[in-house]
Amino acid sequence: MFPRAKLLVFTALLAALAPADALWPQPRSIETGGTPLRLSGGFAITVAGSAPSDLHAAVQDAKSFISNDKLGRLVVGRGAVDVAAYSKAKTLSKLTLSLEKGATAHSITSEAQKAPEARDEAYTLTVPGDGSGATITANSTLGLYRGLTTFTQLFFYNEGTTYLLNAPVHIEDAPAYPYRGFMLDTARNYFPVSDIKRTLDAMSWVKINQFHWHVVDSQSFPLEVPGYPELSQKGAYSASSVYSPGDVADIISYAGARGIDVMLEIDTPGHTSVISKSHPEHVACPEATPWATYANEPPAGQLRLASEATTNFTAGLLAAAAKLSPSTLFSTGGDELNTNCYAADEETQASLNATGKTLEQALNTFTQVTHKALLDEGKTPVVWEEMVLVHNVTLNPETLVLVWISSDDVKAVAEAGFKLIHAASDYFYLDCGGGGWVGDFPDGNSWCDPFKTWQKSYSFDPVANLTDAEAKLVIGGQHLLWVEQSGPENLDPAVWPRAASSAELFWSGPGGNLSTALPRLHEVAYRMRQRGVQAISLQPEWCALRPGACDLTA
Amino acid sequence: MYTSLPALLVVALACPCRALWPIPRSLETGSTPLVLAPDFRIVGLRDSPADLSSAVARSQAYIRTDRMQRLVVGRAEADRARVQDAMQLPSLVLSIPEGEGVGSIAQEAVGPLGTRSEEYVLHVPADGAPAMLAANSTLGLLRGLTTFEQLWYDLDGNATYTLEAPIIVTDSPAFPYRGFMLDTSRNFFPITDIKRTLDAMSWTKMSQFHWHVTDSHSFPLQVPGFEEVAEKGAYAQDMIYTPADVQDVITYAAERGIDVLMDIDTPGHTAAIYESHPEHIACYLGSPWQTYANEPPAGQLRFASPSTTTFTTELFAAAARMTMSSLFSTGGDELNLECYTNDTATQEALAATNQTLEEALNTFTMSTHGVLTKLGKTGVIKSDMVLDHNLTLPNDTVVIVWKSSADAVSIAAKGFQFVHQPSDYFYLDCGAGEWLGQDPLGNSWCDPFKTWHRTYTFDPFMNLSASQHQLVLGGQQPLWTEQSEPENLDSIVWPRAASSAEVFWTGATLPDGLPRNVSSALPRLHDLRFRMVQRGVQAIPLQPLWCALRPGLCDLQS
Repeated sequence: MFPRAKLLVFTALLAALAPADALWPQPRSIETGGTPLRLSGGFAITVAGSAPSDLHAAVQDAKSFISNDKLGRLVVGRGAVDVAAYSKAKTLSKLTLSLEKGATAHSITSEAQKAPEARDEAYTLTVPGDGSGATITANSTLGLYRGLTTFTQLFFYNEGTTYLLNAPVHIEDAPAYPYRGFMLDTARNYFPVSDIKRTLDAMSWVKINQFHWHVVDSQSFPLEVPGYPELSQKGAYSASSVYSPGDVADIISYAGARGIDVMLEIDTPGHTSVISKSHPEHVACPEATPWATYANEPPAGQLRLASEATTNFTAGLLAAAAKLSPSTLFSTGGDELNTNCYAADEETQASLNATGKTLEQALNTFTQVTHKALLDEGKTPVVWEEMVLVHNVTLNPETLVLVWISSDDVKAVAEAGFKLIHAASDYFYLDCGGGGWVGDFPDGNSWCDPFKTWQKSYSFDPVANLTDAEAKLVIGGQHLLWVEQSGPENLDPAVWPRAASSAELFWSGPGGNLSTALPRLHEVAYRMRQRGVQAISLQPEWCALRPGACDLTA
Repeated sequence: MYTSLPALLVVALACPCRALWPIPRSLETGSTPLVLAPDFRIVGLRDSPADLSSAVARSQAYIRTDRMQRLVVGRAEADRARVQDAMQLPSLVLSIPEGEGVGSIAQEAVGPLGTRSEEYVLHVPADGAPAMLAANSTLGLLRGLTTFEQLWYDLDGNATYTLEAPIIVTDSPAFPYRGFMLDTSRNFFPITDIKRTLDAMSWTKMSQFHWHVTDSHSFPLQVPGFEEVAEKGAYAQDMIYTPADVQDVITYAAERGIDVLMDIDTPGHTAAIYESHPEHIACYLGSPWQTYANEPPAGQLRFASPSTTTFTTELFAAAARMTMSSLFSTGGDELNLECYTNDTATQEALAATNQTLEEALNTFTMSTHGVLTKLGKTGVIKSDMVLDHNLTLPNDTVVIVWKSSADAVSIAAKGFQFVHQPSDYFYLDCGAGEWLGQDPLGNSWCDPFKTWHRTYTFDPFMNLSASQHQLVLGGQQPLWTEQSEPENLDSIVWPRAASSAEVFWTGATLPDGLPRNVSSALPRLHDLRFRMVQRGVQAIPLQPLWCALRPGLCDLQS
């Protein structure tokens, strides 16, 4: 029995080391004590004053998470080791949400849909150690919502008891960066609305505030745009693989109620092959072969950017699509433009001859016209980095730039003076490492090998090599899922919990410690599973229950 | 409409559906459409074993519920005109030779490798006459039914059809061992997940489930007489496979033509046994773990100790009695010798018996494999035990080659039969990143990811002489589960694991005489994936749907 006793001591030691404040993202400021509290059977959450309906709904959601999560603490012995600690603890029976004096109760949705820098997500959360009521205060309902999300993560469960071990808790929290996103491509393969909503749920649990919806691409056009129904009629994979305006509104309002703004992207002028199905007159080199000459992946096909008719068509399309979304942001894409495509396109060459422009000049005209259409709709245009680094295009100075090819390109975009969003393939691409997907290529790997682990993303420095002035241009960052090899079947496992890594990076700020992050990230994954998201295990459960024991040099 | 019409025709001609996986050894197809009659039925055997009757019922259900639309531009609509006035197939009639009693699928499936009769002949006439499926065993009939199910497509729920009648299939596997290995120790998998996996395996005619049931992280197997090992070594009381669970899995598998090879890894990979039997484990939680094990936690059986040898031998005997298979694996990978250097109990045992560590390992292995032989089992071990250690093993021992495909030659040179499981072709967990903590730049040890193409190009006879070919029993793709749980089981395994299923069923040559190749395989593998999704297995897309509907257009050079 002697070794057994030794083991128990070891177990107790591990339990003591395991963080009891397993929050993700880590609040900017947190003080905790060592007092256990049990949640009372009649635990209630009330909102002081009048509250918008989406805040009421959020309160209901929070209550149901607190009672249904039933998460056993991740220590050897799980919740059973906490029985002695919580069994005689005081009970917590109330949480009150209130806005700071002078603040007005707007809906979470309207707060979330403001321009990134205008969103007020700060909150203060207090859980006294004596069982008196807990409080969340904030300047906005969006801040109250973030506080609620934190509150639900405070609790563990064992045999009918919901408890925490670390009262009193005092948190003062606000994000380091205003843009914390996740991008999903719904064009290579289609994702039903229910999968997108589940993803939005999971995003909200880690305080991600931006859904970048790369909705169309060369393979399919699943977006029904009012005035342009033929695009999805002929360009979607099937009639059942279309997002109707009603679906888009549904997703936007579902996201808004969860503190998430939806940025639509219609990628142009490249990545538009499928538009040829309804508008062959607007697309150069549709499905041209060999595809590798004309595009980065099959099928080839790009908008005839030199054509005035195509330019006007695109501007009209973007304006109509922009009206679908209340966001201040709208992305026109702009990545991977292929010049061979236009060199071989008689129509484009004729347009260039007629106007006496070079292709770059024509691209500039095209971009100015299409972006003006967005600016007229009150949107801030968002583009992929090539529009700044590869092409000589006059962009509105407020344009946001997504840096994707490499984190090495951040500096150049900042030097050009543009606000930027980190989306670098070498840190944040969720599809990397999944093997080559083009056919007849047995030794092919993904172009951006290797796989980007959560640790790699987590260690990213958003201001590396930037001057202080340049650092101010960084508005945040995001993980991205390109879906050549994803469908609803592997959406959750490909995204979660990895995408939570950047959520903490851009909420809590860089420099986080991998060792203390891992146990908390395990908990994110376990809690997500309890809530029906198929987040994968990052390690054997043996390791998840023993923080540090499976580190490289442990 | 003019522009799209030629494209449809080209696709239809260039890609006959032939969406069978694994593709039969011999296959002749025509171009006559044929639909299932509204009252289509499968006529089983008169004295049908219960598991064959169940298999027939499953086939009839799949044919009704797959609702699989053909993967062409326009999907089912593209076929509507051709299907409209097609002849009807009234029935499929099963037969096996008269005479000997009819054995069950399960009996045939758990027989020793090389004795299982899986061959069958399937004929689907184009003229509306009944289809015929003949085999020498009920297992062969099961394989034929599996093929038959894959022939059919759905037209809006109004017709179930093929465009390729008449169809004549003469089929049998190139290799008897076509497996999949699942590790249920790093993370636990409920029985339902294992059963769903067995279903999917059976759809690709796999014959062997290698169940790596225990390891250092947890011991989820309840072995009669050794209940304490799981009671203390499992992750939780609801993460234990009881003998009834094991029986359930074995029966479920056998009825689907799959034999279950249980694997209790020894003498390494046994830290979890410490929880119940600290006296048998050396270097438990030895730190730094890298000194004592290939991954945390460290801990290995004290194989030099006579009492540990007796314990292990009896544990094997009890575990082996739980199985119907002729095979049982004792593991044998990644034995760490440093673990024993400072283990007083081991050093004392060596001194007392006057043996070296290698001699003690031989004694231990002879004892554990001896009891398996006595129970009529063939021992299965990892290649390390042949390549890195000098052991006396029974001649019929089956070796699993795992570290590298290059090791197969050395195993063959020693005259052992073996199973291909090379990490450089078949490991499903490779490429998913480092799982150890505090290693932000780390990748998986066996990077890169093994794509289905990579696996598909594997040559089972690579570098072997003709006389050594008979030593190749087959192969399997394993899933080690450091980063897997039920959440990503399907998406990691399917459809990739089907790749080796065809390598080892079809062999080197396609029915048209051409070498097996990734170009003609991809459309069929897409088809299999879509059918799996229809059947509730979360197999992932291999390409954008645009590509899946246009064979060849997303090839590297197209």
